[in-house]
Amino acid sequence: MALTLAAAIFLPLFPFSIVLNGMLMRLSNPYARFLLLLLWPQIGIVALSFTNQAIPGYMVIWALISSAHYALRLLTIRDLGLWAGFLASSSLALTWGLAAHHAPIEMHFFALWFSLPAALLTLLTGPLVKRFGAAYAGLYGGLASSMPRLSILLVVTVFAAIATPPSPGFFAMLNLLQRQSWPAAAAVSIIWLFWSWAATKLLQGFVFGADRRHGMPDLGRKSTLLYMSVLCAFVVTGIYITGGAL
Amino acid sequence: MNQLIALLLATPLLSALLILLLPNGKRHSVARVSVSLSALTFVIAGISLAVYLFHPHTHWLSSGQAWGSLYLDPLTSVMAMAVSGISLVVHIYAVRYMAEEPGYARFYILLDLMTASILLMVAAGDLITLLVAWHLIGVLLYFLLGHDLVRPAAQRYAFWSFFTYRVGDLPLILASVLLYRAYGTFAIPTLFEHITANPDAQTVFGLPLTFVVAMLIALSAFARSAQFPLHTWLPYTMEGPTPVSALMHAGIVNAGGFIINRFAPVFIHAGFVLHIVFAVGMITAIMGSVLMLTQNDIKKSLGYSTMGQMGFMFVECGVGAFSLAIYHLVAHGLFKGTLFLDAGSMIGNARKQDGVPHDDIYTFVVERKPIASRMPWVVAAAVTVVVPFLVLWVSRWLVAGDFIGQQGAVILLFFGWATGAQLLFATYRLRADNPWRLMAMIILSLIIVVFGYTVIEHAFNLFLYPDEALRNRIYAAASIPIGTFETLVAILTATIVLGWIAVYYSTANGKQKSGNTSAARLAVYSLISREFYVSDVYTWLTQGILRLSQRMNVLLRWV
Repeated sequence: MALTLAAAIFLPLFPFSIVLNGMLMRLSNPYARFLLLLLWPQIGIVALSFTNQAIPGYMVIWALISSAHYALRLLTIRDLGLWAGFLASSSLALTWGLAAHHAPIEMHFFALWFSLPAALLTLLTGPLVKRFGAAYAGLYGGLASSMPRLSILLVVTVFAAIATPPSPGFFAMLNLLQRQSWPAAAAVSIIWLFWSWAATKLLQGFVFGADRRHGMPDLGRKSTLLYMSVLCAFVVTGIYITGGAL
Repeated sequence: MNQLIALLLATPLLSALLILLLPNGKRHSVARVSVSLSALTFVIAGISLAVYLFHPHTHWLSSGQAWGSLYLDPLTSVMAMAVSGISLVVHIYAVRYMAEEPGYARFYILLDLMTASILLMVAAGDLITLLVAWHLIGVLLYFLLGHDLVRPAAQRYAFWSFFTYRVGDLPLILASVLLYRAYGTFAIPTLFEHITANPDAQTVFGLPLTFVVAMLIALSAFARSAQFPLHTWLPYTMEGPTPVSALMHAGIVNAGGFIINRFAPVFIHAGFVLHIVFAVGMITAIMGSVLMLTQNDIKKSLGYSTMGQMGFMFVECGVGAFSLAIYHLVAHGLFKGTLFLDAGSMIGNARKQDGVPHDDIYTFVVERKPIASRMPWVVAAAVTVVVPFLVLWVSRWLVAGDFIGQQGAVILLFFGWATGAQLLFATYRLRADNPWRLMAMIILSLIIVVFGYTVIEHAFNLFLYPDEALRNRIYAAASIPIGTFETLVAILTATIVLGWIAVYYSTANGKQKSGNTSAARLAVYSLISREFYVSDVYTWLTQGILRLSQRMNVLLRWV
């Protein structure tokens, strides 16, 4: 039971999610946040693999409530770093839906498909903070006009993070849904809908609208290519693995 | 044949990729590449249809994975032809229309990706591929409608459309999950074989699987095709560029009719769902038509017209006339696309010529023309009631003698009769030099249109559903008890006939004026002008959710 509760810190369930979100708030270096988001859930899955007892049903319900709670709060979060953390808290909590079915490999991949885009989003906070002092939706807006490269990366990553096809998160969600009970599947669907809503609200605050800060330099060509390559590799690998696994 | 299907999808993707690789500022090259490859897509779709006509065998192309398979059947062939045709017209139109707009290359990339996604949807051979395409269409539409990156209204309404589409995605996903759990496969043809062999499978709460799946698919179709109460996004898609409006109203919004046809083997076991589809379609058609008549903006009026047409399309599905719905969506796509693309010219012409008719004295004294007159109202009323019915009945009887015995056919005749009569009534209200000649010409036009429509629709039915047993089962599923049906038809017929006679009588006696404004009239007007308060309810709901989210964040901060 202790291991299960420990896993609730790493596959964040409210209020244990305070640890992950607190660390994300404390860390100012985007690369450190990136690594944290990537590795944190994997530790939780390893911890769960050491528990020999079945995951109790109430844990799945707890996970759904926790995920819905963060999905709801995501709607009015404007700080990009915090948004990425809350999205990770909401999506990674759903890993418990697979834990109840004893599917460790699928759990590792599920966590990766959701933590990687969220981690990539935290990387994007770096250039925004450097240029504007804060990565805050609605503060400047109009990035599509002034910083097209950064905007494209932000849009693609946000859509990958909310499990839009062909990102692997989409197939992982389908896999998760077909393993859930009918009410749980309905709840997961509504959580998914909230992510989409929150994503469009976030993008409207960053990408669209009139450009109010002229003359800010865009991302460099090499950084853009590198970032895009990671995203493409993520999608291709995901399609290969999840497509075959379904 | 398999290569053709793959090529059909690959061509617009290739176009998007080539445009992406072109250097910035090469607008002519962008347009040339996109239009050429769009034309090629249309040719490939035409060849696929022709090949299918000569060798009518369905093809299922597997990718070797659990998803990514393609399926070519009559429905795919027809839809691919319609989609690629409309897409080509929109591509050509946009060459000049979008020339002054920023993001020219982005627009064509999105347009090509949208074409590819719609083609993938119509050719999907398994549920996951269908879901991928279904989902992507919503995402791409969001970016196409929000093409103007600066205008807040474009972004707001792009979001509305996207959110409604996401609402519609979820029931389809749940339906797919249920089907997979029950039959253990995602492949569409195999699923249909399983459903036919075992239609009585049960699912959640002991409900029949086919009923739950059909209901979920219908819900998804309602959102995609702007059916009440998920219609509010459609009229506001006018905020997007005109070519996108044309593609939207001519192609994308028709997906609801397509998905119901695709899952016809499920719906034949879910008659009650077809009745719901009929009711929702009917409400949508009435609401769309009423709202259309109260608009003073041509594009918004066309938007509500689309809503009404989508309602009719669902009514057709609800009465079991599935193939008619496909014919309707193709025909509607062509004429609505034309209307949208012509809307700009119409506005330009209206600025030059107001189109207000002159009065009788002006016509007689200045223009030296005879004063226009009308037919006697009794004759016109008799013509209105009898002629459309005769034309429709004879045309149906000619193509299929037993057709009249089917309930769905009677309902369609009923609609045809009502709309034909509406046309004749509108003709009666026109004053003409020779009203008899005018009425004769209109009746002749009506006969040509109805006979053409009937023959083509009949051919469509035979082409899309070659299995006669399946055709009959669709109509049987949509049937209601004969006593209820006949009573409803009798009441509606009496109401409509008496209404027409009363209107003719009052019009002939000069009492057609609207009269004084009463409180009831104002209440009805405000109800219509606020679009039945549906949007207000959604706004209230969303603001409530956002307030709750804000309060939680204020309370919990970063926790």
